Amino acid sequence: MKKRFSLLTLAAMMAAGISLVGCSGSGSTDKNVIKIGVFQPLTGANGAGGAAEYEGTKLANKLFPEVLGKKIQLVVVDNKSDKVEAANAATVLAQKEKVNAVIGSWGSSLSMSGGPIFAEAKIPAVAVSATNPNVTKGNEFYFRVCFLDPFQGTVGAAYAFNTLKAKKVAIIREVSNDYSVGLAKFFVDEFVKLSGNKNAIVATADYNTGDQDFSAQLTNLKQFEPDVIFAPGNYTESALIIKQARALGIKAQFIGGDTWDESSFLTVGGSAVEGAVFSTFFANDKPINKTSEAFLKAYREEFKKEPAAGSALGYDAYLVILDAIKRANSAEPQKIRDALAKTKGFEGSAGEITINAERNADKAAVFKTVKDGKFVFLTTVKP
Amino acid sequence: MNTLLTQNDTQRRDRMLTLGAAVIGLGLLFAFDSMFDRFTMQIFKLCAINVILALSLNLINGFTGLFSLGHAGFMAVGAYTCAILSMSPEQKEANFVLQPIMPVLLNVQMPFLPSLLIGGLLAGFIGWVLGVVTLRLRDDYLAIATLGFSEIIRVVLTNAQTITNGSLGLKGLPRFTTMWWAWGSAIVITLFLVLLIKSTYGRAFKSIRDNEIAAEAMGIDVLNMKVLSFTISSALAGIAGGLLAHYLTTIDPKQFIFLKTFDILLIVVLGGIGSITGSIVSAIVVTVLMEALRFLDGPLNLGFMVTNGIPGLRMVFFSALLMIVVIFRQQGLMGTAEFSWNSLARIGLLPKRGQKSGKGVE
Repeated sequence: MKKRFSLLTLAAMMAAGISLVGCSGSGSTDKNVIKIGVFQPLTGANGAGGAAEYEGTKLANKLFPEVLGKKIQLVVVDNKSDKVEAANAATVLAQKEKVNAVIGSWGSSLSMSGGPIFAEAKIPAVAVSATNPNVTKGNEFYFRVCFLDPFQGTVGAAYAFNTLKAKKVAIIREVSNDYSVGLAKFFVDEFVKLSGNKNAIVATADYNTGDQDFSAQLTNLKQFEPDVIFAPGNYTESALIIKQARALGIKAQFIGGDTWDESSFLTVGGSAVEGAVFSTFFANDKPINKTSEAFLKAYREEFKKEPAAGSALGYDAYLVILDAIKRANSAEPQKIRDALAKTKGFEGSAGEITINAERNADKAAVFKTVKDGKFVFLTTVKP
Repeated sequence: MNTLLTQNDTQRRDRMLTLGAAVIGLGLLFAFDSMFDRFTMQIFKLCAINVILALSLNLINGFTGLFSLGHAGFMAVGAYTCAILSMSPEQKEANFVLQPIMPVLLNVQMPFLPSLLIGGLLAGFIGWVLGVVTLRLRDDYLAIATLGFSEIIRVVLTNAQTITNGSLGLKGLPRFTTMWWAWGSAIVITLFLVLLIKSTYGRAFKSIRDNEIAAEAMGIDVLNMKVLSFTISSALAGIAGGLLAHYLTTIDPKQFIFLKTFDILLIVVLGGIGSITGSIVSAIVVTVLMEALRFLDGPLNLGFMVTNGIPGLRMVFFSALLMIVVIFRQQGLMGTAEFSWNSLARIGLLPKRGQKSGKGVE
């Protein structure tokens, strides 16, 4: 009896599965609709990041629903923050839905999972905030609208040299974090190049994630009297470093990366972090251009909250594709791809976007500083 | 005399049926290979990989009764070994942007089969080392130790920048995992496990699961048997990892977090802890349903209301299914039963000729 039951259950499950596969395969192929796939993790570990980017894309779709007289339909697939699932989701977009272009995904590893599938189907994809260089490298169909992580090191050096007129620089790295090590490497390379002085980097100190006491490293740095200290790293440790440096009487200007763009940086650092400068993707206190102004206004109206950088970039990714379709005067994936590759000086809400030969975005970084216990927009710096 | 004849009859019938089923199965694989579109083929291949994963986890959890949660770690070992051994030097150089790869590894390049086997062997070796140390633990303690170990593997992979490219991951692996590789491996591994379970080793595993003290009293070397089962299970997980790497063509440490183990555990529990048939059926059904239910995430028209698309709704289905199984049918779909022609005969799907003397393996 039990066996019969289990066999029946099995048969029912199989039948359900097969019939569902059958009926879900009916994607509409309306000629007057342009499909843009939204390839994002909406559930799982990266759900929040994916949702923020999707909000931006959704908003852009609401404001600009048409191009070339055709309606744009967003096809949303959830990749569950899982690499295997991401490959499946990408195949759904490429093979079943036959989308014209793809936006996403949050998380470089998920984008890399979809990459070969989009490339094989010759569908262009625009990553929103995937910063791993390998996402676009060697994949003719993957673009991105954000800058690479290490790029922040390059603009940091430009800021230190051109604006702060720094001569002597010290580096403090969070050695167990590839983000921090990468930023520091690019900062050093660029600063040495700009200043033409191989000895411009007077000292380098390392610490580990979770460290609390930095007095040994800081005392050592102090004797070199640097003008600027570049300290990319986790916000808690960075805030503590600045606090302890000020207590030791170090007056150098601190520069960091986008990880500092976090309210805990202010609460941990208190008055010590006043004047600290860092690069980041996006500023929401002051619109940097007209697109940015329109985006901020519409976003606040629609969602009744402050936008995250991911939302602004998700908005930009949609607009960049829209712009490419307009310039190509066609919604054919291959033509969109070619137009995307030629994107130049496009005004996005998070800064001007120019797609370079490696299909990455050349764009200015936003610099913020801490003033009266708040993050304030300072300037934008071009590489 | 009479019973002997019927028994022979049954055996001959079973042999014919098995042969027929094998031919039909092979024919179906050929048919699928030419018939399926890219998307269906993708899912079909994934089914085979999940079958291997479910079987290997079932060997240790179901047949030997050791609650191990280290599977994701062994997959990672297999996947990375196989990937690094089979990638071309140019691909490796393109991948390692932050720091160059260790020179020893740069010029190593092997065909798929040896890479896959070495990946499996290395995973098995690590499983053996871990097994010797941790299999003295039982129940929850073993689960925690193996879970911790799989996380250690992941952290090591993240930090071994010159070997694994760290958190940047590897991409551009050759797409070796064709339908034949995936299902070929799944069929070979299934046959191997069926023979293993029927052998003295398999009986020893089951006796350890059923009553460890009794097994020891009967003269079974309990620790060695546990280590053997654990090692085989890890090696198979490593092979599945290698197939998965070349199926996705990209890997990174984050995809092998411990949650991956629970995905496989779901399949094993639904199919029946201690049933090869159950694991195979459940792996296929879960993989297919996971894709088939994707429409639940999108906008739905339920007749009385229209939803606007709720991401993650299809996962609710699996959560509910798991709850129903745990409450109403703890043994899962098959329990510890296996497929046999006799069981089909018993419920009337085959003529009942040899029923009286039937001794099909249950």
